[in-house]
Amino acid sequence: MPASTPRSGSVAMSVDQITEAPVIEAAPRRPMSLQLKVGLVITGSIVLLGLLAPWIAPHPWDTISMRTRFVPPNATYWFGTDEYGRDVLSRLLMGTRLSLAMGVSATLVSLAVGIPMGLAAGYFRGWVDEVLMRLADVFMAIPPIMLGLLVLAVTPPALWKTALAVGFVYIPPIARLARSVTLTLANEEFIQAAKARAETNSYILFREILPNAWPPLIVEASLRVTYAILLGSALSFLGLGAQPPSSDWGLMISEARAFIDRAPWIALAPGFAMCLLVIGINLLGDGARERLDPRLKSRVTER
Amino acid sequence: MLLIDDLTVRYRTPGGEIEALSSISLQVEKGSTVALVGESGSGKSTVALAAMGLLPQEASIPSGRILFDGQDIMMMNVEERRRLRGSRIGLIFQDPFSVLNPSLRIGDQVGEGLVHHRGFSTERAFARAIELLDEVGIVRPESVAKAYPHELSGGMRQRALIAGALASEPDLLILDEPTTALDVTIEAQILDLLEGLRRQRGMTMVFISHNLGVVRRISDEVAVLYAGQIIEQGRTEDVLQRPIHPYAKGLLAAIPRIGQKQGRLAAIPGRLPDLRNPPTGCRFARRCPFATPDSDKPQILRKLGDRQVRCTNAEALREAPWPRPGESEQFAEVVRSPHAGPVVAVEHLTKTFGRHAGFAFKWRRLATSTEIKPVNDISIEVAAGEVLGLVGESGSGKTTLGLSILRLVEPDSGTIRIAGEMVSGKAQRALESMRRSAQIVFQNPDSSLNPRKTIGELLARPIERFRLAPSGEIPARVRQLLDLVRLPAHYADRYAHQMSGGEKQRVGIARALATEPRFIVCDEPVSALDVSVQAAIVNLLADLRDRLGVAYLFISHDISVVAHIADRVAVMHHGKMVEIGRADEVMNAPKHPYTMKLLSAVPRIDGPAPRSVGERHGQVA
Repeated sequence: MPASTPRSGSVAMSVDQITEAPVIEAAPRRPMSLQLKVGLVITGSIVLLGLLAPWIAPHPWDTISMRTRFVPPNATYWFGTDEYGRDVLSRLLMGTRLSLAMGVSATLVSLAVGIPMGLAAGYFRGWVDEVLMRLADVFMAIPPIMLGLLVLAVTPPALWKTALAVGFVYIPPIARLARSVTLTLANEEFIQAAKARAETNSYILFREILPNAWPPLIVEASLRVTYAILLGSALSFLGLGAQPPSSDWGLMISEARAFIDRAPWIALAPGFAMCLLVIGINLLGDGARERLDPRLKSRVTER
Repeated sequence: MLLIDDLTVRYRTPGGEIEALSSISLQVEKGSTVALVGESGSGKSTVALAAMGLLPQEASIPSGRILFDGQDIMMMNVEERRRLRGSRIGLIFQDPFSVLNPSLRIGDQVGEGLVHHRGFSTERAFARAIELLDEVGIVRPESVAKAYPHELSGGMRQRALIAGALASEPDLLILDEPTTALDVTIEAQILDLLEGLRRQRGMTMVFISHNLGVVRRISDEVAVLYAGQIIEQGRTEDVLQRPIHPYAKGLLAAIPRIGQKQGRLAAIPGRLPDLRNPPTGCRFARRCPFATPDSDKPQILRKLGDRQVRCTNAEALREAPWPRPGESEQFAEVVRSPHAGPVVAVEHLTKTFGRHAGFAFKWRRLATSTEIKPVNDISIEVAAGEVLGLVGESGSGKTTLGLSILRLVEPDSGTIRIAGEMVSGKAQRALESMRRSAQIVFQNPDSSLNPRKTIGELLARPIERFRLAPSGEIPARVRQLLDLVRLPAHYADRYAHQMSGGEKQRVGIARALATEPRFIVCDEPVSALDVSVQAAIVNLLADLRDRLGVAYLFISHDISVVAHIADRVAVMHHGKMVEIGRADEVMNAPKHPYTMKLLSAVPRIDGPAPRSVGERHGQVA
């Protein structure tokens, strides 16, 4: 804009000046915290190994071979073999896919149900809020394993049912978070502005509120994935999830239990793998929370 | 008493280092009151924090000294500083609502300093607190001392805070925007109180404010800050009546004055320079209508009579007035159509808030059912192209009235007619055409724009929603809207956080205009903005009214702004409309006692010098 605009003091010139003035840019991105980096590396490599499992597994994961039973870890079988002579490493790699699929799909179920519940409760308040949140309280009052058992005990077990059951267990925390985020957002003036345009409720919930609610929800969801993996494995361990000869980690531990004194590596390998994945995702989630969650920002900048 | 010498303060931020104060020098004599005025970002609060030794961790002080009674505050260790704060310097903050601890009794909080710094027993401190509360004009101090903060009104809390600051008998009181969060009538009382205390105790005060009218009432001397520098300093009356520095001239010209109707307000264009890398020359040069090539050279604060001014051309500019915008702009063909009926007609509108809204388990009946009527039997009309100003203090129900008219709050009874359509009694989903013809502009520019959408998306949505244009033409419509509020077209790609407060407010106005409304409720549209930006927005609203013939219900607690823009003014008090009439009549010859009280409380920057305390004493409650 020309700086020679006649300086008459009219409003119009303020625009000319605005365009000249430097734009206040958002602060440059802070470097990633160590926590976030470590989390990304651990989780990333496990996901990658799981995806590539069929191609990188050194041995077939389900071929029974009586000659190689209970071989301790060595150069050929890095993590040893199990009671049917199957390579533990290969089974572990294949099991990665099951655990990840379990965790992610269960979390998707919680999100798909929990988010609309929380949005509606936080936005409409009143009796809608009471009914939905008391329902969530009832869900929370039942221990997760019990709830999973309840769903799975009445029907024949299958992995997808486990995922569904685990997903249902973790609806309340997601719904509560979505509700609390919505409560603050619902008072913003842009929601009033949307009402003043006679927007439908679903537009306000999903197009105005939800985009602003995503950051905390994504963080929460990533942490929920670890809970879901653990619960899923626990259910499989109890025989209510994946069925033999599947190589689900929980099932692997369960089957290895009988031989824990003779061949501890069979149980230890999936146990460690599970720990590593859970730690990795937790670090990732916490790191992401520090970056995304505005409530923690002040604390971070103080450092 | 307090001497600040060549003080520079920098803040480390993620975006780089900001120079908040550049070589500030200030001398406060014993018994005098010095005011620091400036808009947001001028660094006025940083001065207060530095003087108290309370700067945050991110701040660094590359140069300067702060002497309190000859002692260098910055040479002290933490413990010495703390003792100084507790005993000799008192600080009063802006917000009386968050400073008091909600779980401690008022008396304990007022007496707290005595227990810590003077070794008083808790009982003696409490007894002294009661005396202090009495001194700051609180009626029944014994019972107030036993009350908790939530039981007190804002004005009472601010009095309690002042009592707390006085407890240790400080020599110096630093007040950071002490009346900004309060209503004008309360503000007037607090100012009277401060003035009285100052006379009785011979207290020295540093008074920080953005409100020039308030400053005029309280201070002997004033220093005007701009972008971290003092640009003019002198006796209050001199500076406010005959400013020399162009920024001071602009600031004063931008303030609407009650009783002097002008066509448009003078505005200061542009915005603060980037303080990460402040210009070496005059920091105001880019916004200055008097700028000369000399302005790019470093400017020093020069003595000019008994004043100090940071401008090379100060002598020449002494009498030059800030340029006023042309009285009659090019919009000669006003689209107002007086023959048409009122665009909005509201009759006997009432809204009651009970204690309980919605569903709740009722185990026992509440002993007292408190009901408030923020809108109590209100009838108003707004003609096409007319601006009806609505003033009142907080809690008077003016916002609720605005929202009820648009059915954003459901009124209990009464009728509303907008653009000939009966709006009350209809289901929300039957309000389609009303939603088009009546819109709203909000107070808070940070909250009124969805942060996850671009400005283009925000402005396109109403057009899409009401199918006002085929989708291919929407971008062109958005550009037209931006042009209407005088924002450049490329702003369509920005997000709200990339704009200044004034620009966001322009977008808010553009969004309201997108549906081509005939009536807009402006709910405190300029209250969150700085004076110079406020003037530009008020001018914009006035221009749009003239050009598009839109009618406004202009709600504000700032009477001078309403007096400037409104054709008629309505005054609300406790949910009732106490007076309505032509703006000049209400302002110059108010009829209702409440209106008179309100008008007399407004601190003015012109007219006779403020009355002395003795004359006003009767009003100190």
